[in-house]
Amino acid sequence: MTPLGSIASAVLRVTPWRLERRLEVEARRAALTRIGGAVGAMVLVGIVLLLTGRNAFWIFWQGLDAIFGRQRGIEGAALRAIPILMTALGVALSLRMKVWNIGSDGQFLMGALAAVGVGIHMDGPAWLVLIAMAAAATLAGAAWILVPALARAYWDVNEIITTLLLNFVALQLVTWSALGFWRDKEAAVIQSTREVAHTLPGLPGANSVTIALLVPLVIAAALWWVFRSTTIGYEIDTIGGNPRAAGYAGIAVRRRILVVMLFTGAIAGLGGMLQLSAPGAQAMNAGFSAQFGLSGFIVAALAGASFWGVIGGGLFIASMFYAGIVLQTKGLSVYIIFAIYGVILTGIALGEIAARYRVVRRDAADESGAAATEAAAAPQGAGP
Amino acid sequence: MILAIIENAFLSLIGSAIPASAVVMLAATGAMLGERVGVLNLGQEGLIGIGAVYSVIAVLSWGVESPWLAMLIGMIAAAVAGLIFAVCVVAFRASQVLVGLALALGGIGLSNQLGVNRNGTPIQTLFREVNPGGVLDDNDAVSAFFFHDPVVYIAYIGLPAVLWFVLFRTRHGMNMKAVGENPAAADAVGVSVTGWRIFYSVLGAALTGAGGAYMVLSFTPTWSPDIARGRGWVALAVVIFAGWRPGWAVAGALLYGSMISLDTTAQARGWGLPFMGASDLSFFLSMLPYVVTLVAILIPAGAVKLGRRVRSTAAPAALAIPYSREER
Repeated sequence: MTPLGSIASAVLRVTPWRLERRLEVEARRAALTRIGGAVGAMVLVGIVLLLTGRNAFWIFWQGLDAIFGRQRGIEGAALRAIPILMTALGVALSLRMKVWNIGSDGQFLMGALAAVGVGIHMDGPAWLVLIAMAAAATLAGAAWILVPALARAYWDVNEIITTLLLNFVALQLVTWSALGFWRDKEAAVIQSTREVAHTLPGLPGANSVTIALLVPLVIAAALWWVFRSTTIGYEIDTIGGNPRAAGYAGIAVRRRILVVMLFTGAIAGLGGMLQLSAPGAQAMNAGFSAQFGLSGFIVAALAGASFWGVIGGGLFIASMFYAGIVLQTKGLSVYIIFAIYGVILTGIALGEIAARYRVVRRDAADESGAAATEAAAAPQGAGP
Repeated sequence: MILAIIENAFLSLIGSAIPASAVVMLAATGAMLGERVGVLNLGQEGLIGIGAVYSVIAVLSWGVESPWLAMLIGMIAAAVAGLIFAVCVVAFRASQVLVGLALALGGIGLSNQLGVNRNGTPIQTLFREVNPGGVLDDNDAVSAFFFHDPVVYIAYIGLPAVLWFVLFRTRHGMNMKAVGENPAAADAVGVSVTGWRIFYSVLGAALTGAGGAYMVLSFTPTWSPDIARGRGWVALAVVIFAGWRPGWAVAGALLYGSMISLDTTAQARGWGLPFMGASDLSFFLSMLPYVVTLVAILIPAGAVKLGRRVRSTAAPAALAIPYSREER
């Protein structure tokens, strides 16, 4: 037992309850404790905000009002949900295999960059250009993760750092395109690329949200089906559970890792194209991504590996993200939002652990039983 | 003549690379310290920010006049953040990846928020360059190569030497490696896995904080948002490149540093290529440090896979795996 564990059990010893490890952790319970962790983290943030003289309730109310008070708010949140959901789906897919794709921001940017490249250079009917843009973005996203994926699959190089380093390269490349090779020379002040002429058709009744919002829903449904009903999905879950056992079972583990990682990049890349094809967002600049990949990562962490959970969590984080943007105009800085993200992510990680324990009532018989279990659990040779 | 010019260019490139990546060196040593006992702290980027901003606060708001004291304050702040991280991942066994990323995010956000009113204010309390008796004048490439402030010598020579000695020549170091490689065995011989892991991840966080402090107390020397600019991630990459060996981290840090100074040198001298103008070249060179770092990570693994004989460059076996006596 850890020192803190002993302190915790010492505290609990005077109460009629004690902590017990669960033998099995149900996915649903883990999801609930993760959400509990996130909510607890937000309450903590609220308390800190109150203590530093900011009215947390007012901020919370303003945030809610900013989203649900008007149609623009709902659409604003939905617009942010598209890139966040796409990157989150990519990360969630890689998490099914216990692979961390931290580079979804870079893949997202490269997808958008490829889409802009096709969009401003290709002539043709709008539908054809848009399809070509989507194809280019998907390929670019996959290409951007190719080296980390090959290194992970065949050379066992940890993918966390390699995928992340490429985010910086992608960001520099986007800056270069906006200020250099694809710069819009007619608009001298705005430092961005030229604008793509076409946008996706809007959703009925919406002012700015396009059918792009349906894409992450379709992908989530497809992934859910793949993991529920196909051999490939089962194989990927097996690799996530125990790669060595999967290898003994005859699964081509390395090739599966490579292919799944390419898919995660492709989904994030397509997200870049979807973002670019919304009215008013048809050009790229250095601030194109607004760290969507990061938000997507948090969504995936919150949802575990459940694709429907990603949709729910993504809509929630996107609302928070949009509320954050609105609140910036009311004195809450973007930096605080980053700090809040950090606290929420810690809360999720702790919530995940909490699912493994339960509090049970101790009785007289239990007392001696617990002592016996503890003695049995102590490893040989550790005692005096 | 030409040889002398090349030699001069090389010396001045490395000469400016040394201070440019002293922060990477400090953060890499800090990260390595934690990773050797099995704790992967992805929050280096945030720790650099926290170390830097608290040094700035110490100098500008608390009137600290010694750079060493300001650095110490930055280190303590980073150590506190490291302690929170360590308690979450070691004592509560939360996911090191998740909490590490949370520390990166939270640290960047917190430091930017704290520094928001201090953007661009020049720092006057600086480390002084060591130049014994003004033997060489300041513009000399040789002098740029050899003479730096004391922190640089500590980062590149002192710390790696001490860490190497402790890890490979003392019983204490044996125990450290045991905690990182096989915590159950270390536990069985009476080494407190939890205690050692918490202690060394906090110490490592303090070293990374010193890196951030060095940035604002000597290198930049002023606060600006997102001060780490990816150096924390590069430091984690340097640890992999170095194969968890302290001496090799120097090579990794200098490789990254020379790529950074290549960019600034090219900008300062207005270099261009026949097919690429000065501004395009600058954009290209600004991507290079990250690309080179990525390739550098692949080298040790690739060498092993391609059958070259390389001395052990594998990660500590228990890296990022929480230890619990009850579940083995």
